[in-house]
Amino acid sequence: MKYRITHITTYRYSQSVGLCQNEARLQPRNFWRQQCDYSHFDIQPQPTDFREWTDFFGNQVNYFAIQQPHTQLIVTAISEVTLFPRQNNLDLLNRMTWEQARNLLQEMPMQGQTQSQQGQSQSQLQNQEQLLEILDARQYVLDSPMISVTPELADYAQSSFQLNRALVDVVYDLMQRIYRDFTYDPSFTTIATPLSDVLKFRRGVCQDFAHLAIGCLRAYNIAARYISGYVETLPEAGQQRLVGADASHAWFSVYIPNTGWLDFDPTNNTVPLDQHITLAWGRDYADVTPLKGIAFGGGQHTLSVSVDVLRLE
Amino acid sequence: MRNTSSPANEFGTQYYATQLGIYDEMYASENKALPYWERFMSALDSMGSEKLEARRKEAQRLLRENGVTYNVYGDSQNLTRPWRLDPVPLLISSEEWTAIEAGLQQRAVLLNLILKDIYGEQNLLKKGLLPAELIFGHEGFLRPCVGALQNQQQHLTLYSANLARGPKGRMWVLDDRAQAPSGSGYALENRTVMTRVLPDIFRETQVRRLSGFFKAFRKGLADIAMHNKEDPRIVILTPGPLNETYFEHAYLAAYLGFTLVQGGDLTVRDGRVWLKSLSGLQAVDVILRRVDDSFCDPLELRSISQLGIAGLLEVVRRGNVAIANPLGSSILENPALLAFLPRLARYFLNEELKLPSVATWWCGQRRERDFVLQNIDSLVIKPINRSQDNHAVFGGLLSSKEKEQLCRQILAKPHNFVGQEHVSFSTLPAFIDHHIEPRNAVLRTFVVANGDDYTVMSGGLTRVARRKDNFVVSNQAGGISKDTWVLAAKPDKPVSIWTEPKRNQLIEAVIEPLTSRAADNLFWVGRHLERVKTSTRLLRTVLRKHRETLEFKDEIDNECLQVLLRTLTQVSGTYPGFIKCDAQLLKTPQQELLSLAKDGQRKGTLSANIQAFVQAAFSIRDLWSQDTWRSVDNIQRRWQQRVMNNNEMNIEQLQNHLDDLITGIVAFTGLTSESMTRESAWLMLDSGRRLERALTLIALLRSTLASRHADALQSQVLEAVLVSTDSLTIYQRRYRSYIQLPLVLELLLLDESHPRSLAYQLAQLSTHISALPRTKSTRQLSAEERLILQAYTDLRLCNVLELTQVNEEDGIYVHLERLLSNMTDLLWRLADVIADAYFSHSQTSQLMLLNTPEDEL
Repeated sequence: MKYRITHITTYRYSQSVGLCQNEARLQPRNFWRQQCDYSHFDIQPQPTDFREWTDFFGNQVNYFAIQQPHTQLIVTAISEVTLFPRQNNLDLLNRMTWEQARNLLQEMPMQGQTQSQQGQSQSQLQNQEQLLEILDARQYVLDSPMISVTPELADYAQSSFQLNRALVDVVYDLMQRIYRDFTYDPSFTTIATPLSDVLKFRRGVCQDFAHLAIGCLRAYNIAARYISGYVETLPEAGQQRLVGADASHAWFSVYIPNTGWLDFDPTNNTVPLDQHITLAWGRDYADVTPLKGIAFGGGQHTLSVSVDVLRLE
Repeated sequence: MRNTSSPANEFGTQYYATQLGIYDEMYASENKALPYWERFMSALDSMGSEKLEARRKEAQRLLRENGVTYNVYGDSQNLTRPWRLDPVPLLISSEEWTAIEAGLQQRAVLLNLILKDIYGEQNLLKKGLLPAELIFGHEGFLRPCVGALQNQQQHLTLYSANLARGPKGRMWVLDDRAQAPSGSGYALENRTVMTRVLPDIFRETQVRRLSGFFKAFRKGLADIAMHNKEDPRIVILTPGPLNETYFEHAYLAAYLGFTLVQGGDLTVRDGRVWLKSLSGLQAVDVILRRVDDSFCDPLELRSISQLGIAGLLEVVRRGNVAIANPLGSSILENPALLAFLPRLARYFLNEELKLPSVATWWCGQRRERDFVLQNIDSLVIKPINRSQDNHAVFGGLLSSKEKEQLCRQILAKPHNFVGQEHVSFSTLPAFIDHHIEPRNAVLRTFVVANGDDYTVMSGGLTRVARRKDNFVVSNQAGGISKDTWVLAAKPDKPVSIWTEPKRNQLIEAVIEPLTSRAADNLFWVGRHLERVKTSTRLLRTVLRKHRETLEFKDEIDNECLQVLLRTLTQVSGTYPGFIKCDAQLLKTPQQELLSLAKDGQRKGTLSANIQAFVQAAFSIRDLWSQDTWRSVDNIQRRWQQRVMNNNEMNIEQLQNHLDDLITGIVAFTGLTSESMTRESAWLMLDSGRRLERALTLIALLRSTLASRHADALQSQVLEAVLVSTDSLTIYQRRYRSYIQLPLVLELLLLDESHPRSLAYQLAQLSTHISALPRTKSTRQLSAEERLILQAYTDLRLCNVLELTQVNEEDGIYVHLERLLSNMTDLLWRLADVIADAYFSHSQTSQLMLLNTPEDEL
């Protein structure tokens, strides 16, 4: 499956901005389910300084600075990706219980034993690789800037965490419950709405639902991370497809030992397969904000966003 | 009852009651004082309690005059507190110090290696030498900084450790400070003061000097400049005057010759950090930061921070600026690390720790967690992340309910807590309320990278608790500081911190750039000061007139007083005041007059202007000489004591205090004109002063002279105007005639040789403005040059006879009024233009976030 994504962000200022520094995570990352074939930034006015680097989580970051006075900033990110849907059904067959997964994350060997440098067998190397994978996963069990585990989150999640239930089933159940119990309501939350309010009023948007699910899983010491990306929207039967009517999306991913990271989309109650395009992942939204900047001057600013996800083949 | 007839006897060491089971510095574990303490204490003994108290007071006075303060958060009434110094130092023998020094060096080397690993390869995590949660769960681990360390010999440039001695006499490290350690400046100031108040004892004791450390400090910072730059530009980044240790930031900047900056003074362009100075952007090579690391870059770290520089981390990543210590180094302050240091010392150095840390159990491990929960009563429980509402607690002091709650918190997120042994610090002699008494002490030590090694300050900052048997020594809790004397085997000669030039080498004079913020503050120091001066003189005149009315009961006096009262309101801008008030207030103006002097909460009063003056001066503490700062301190302190905090003061006493205030201001003005070089700083200060003097003079003249008075009243008013502009004597000498309006106007408006005249102020302003640095070289006049030229010309072209023509209908001197209002307008615009051209740093930044992603399939 191939897609072209056009993501246009426009800032308009009431007064001139003399300098702005920005950071974008708008370039789809490469991993086993996805390959980024093409990525291009068009920024108006032309940035004086532009550089690309890879962050701690492996996401592509684009830093740019605009140093001449301007009253409007337009950032257009165009990318083309290929998705390789794997048979998710097989992943869902992993029968490891959530208790086993939790223990595996906690019981990493804690010794200073240094492995011999030579003669590592194939299995040792594989073992080493899995150790590093688990080491990485362990940071996704802990609190993060926007998600702090509370007894309320644990309470909400409890009915999904039945004894000796397979972790995959736990998460699937949790996803379904969030979909059922919560109302999608863009008017209710902003970036600053705390998770406790989302839980209390049972409302929010995709970002809140992802955070909520992650918090619930971490309350039981399961590693879960936040995914920022896009989802293909299909016009209703008989309707013309609207260009630019799509939007950014967010969902979450769970670490399932022996399988790896498995995505779940609580907003749409689905397991992402071939319609979800991943931009970046991190502990929560704060790690993967698609575009942020600091502007000097500018007075009031208004923002408009247009996203278009087009299926190429 | 104790015999108190001979207090001198009680002072001696025989009354020094140490506590059983607690190690004392003077006695060690013996019954007899250590020989070097013995010598020191007998010197104190022969001095006597009275004399020592006098020395202690002298030290306090010196510290206060030098402006040594620390700020107390959440106390807006009494923001700055004087720094307290006990004249009895901590003495450490040469042999013992050698061991401590080696221990600190080893620790610095070790922490440096840990820092390098955490922000680099992370082998410690991969090999399981450090648990992942210990790093990943600490707020000091800044993911954007991973991979951003530059190629330096040592990454940890500055390091500081708090030491305390346990019951058996062993030194322990209580905690490590590794991001922006504070205290070295206070230690230096303590030493400076001690050599003045106990010069003989200091000389005889053979104490190691501190200057070697500061020499290494300068070199250590210069060494980390990228691209091996010679003579790099080094700045000290401070959170600003409200920060707890702002004094120290300003002090070190002045002592080491670095520029003191706030986040707003720096900007990132073209992948470099620049200092916004009066003469344009200047590249910055090294930043010594006193801002916590997550606050340093609002773009990549904490978005809400106004203290940092957007884009700073990106410049670091490109290797174009060096920061001491590197962003992210607060990970080393995680107390959980203490539990792993012995193992890491063996791993990295193949050595045992020379200075042990206080016993620490990290609850992130099951066995340790259970131990802490079982022994909670005898342990100190600390969260690994320090924050305002997240303190260390003594388990034994908690109620059973609080304890239960704490245990629940530990069980929920065990990796967030450590338990530590409760060390009973050693005691040492302190001079408290005329007696020598034992107090628990903590020693803060300082270390700086020097080539591939570390240099330790031979001394440090010792702090003792104010009350007996207390272990909290922090400044916020009212602790007292002490100098730390490391004894030398032979006399230690001080070294100059400045590099000595090679013979015949010509040194190019460096003019430190003046930041836009400093320029802004200087300008306002000048303006506030002039406001204070004008109001004081006018108020003095009013008080005199008021006394005359009471004495002579003359109707003309009374009318003149009313004119002056209204003028006072207008010149100080304290409306409604005496304008549009009832007749009663004009008859009994005492209360309002006192309020104009005293009320610090009211805009335009003397107290408010004095506070604003002091605040502006304090924000640029590093730019004033010692003497100049003392004069600022005098103005503020005397005014506070005698007027603001004096509830009994009446009008008669106020008169004397006003005279005193004028003397204080003259001292400040004199010192600045004598000691400041005629560069940008002076130009800004004096421009502010000239501008304000011009504006207040105009306000005075408009209010008193713009409308016609009857002859008798007119002559009184004119005299009052001359008195309150300090021009009466000059008038009498020059004109030798009775006072008349045209001559007064000639003297106060047009006489360029008279330093109080408007013409003089404009001429000075004009010279200053053309001397200020300008970024664009163009043949055209700048906006500020244009405005001052216009004002000056308009004034020069006016004609006194014309100015004194009165409009018979309303009795207004129309030409005079028009001229003065035109001048006011031009000068206000000039102030705006200067602010735009030179103080543009005030432009605020805003965060732009892509809003909530929202869509449903």
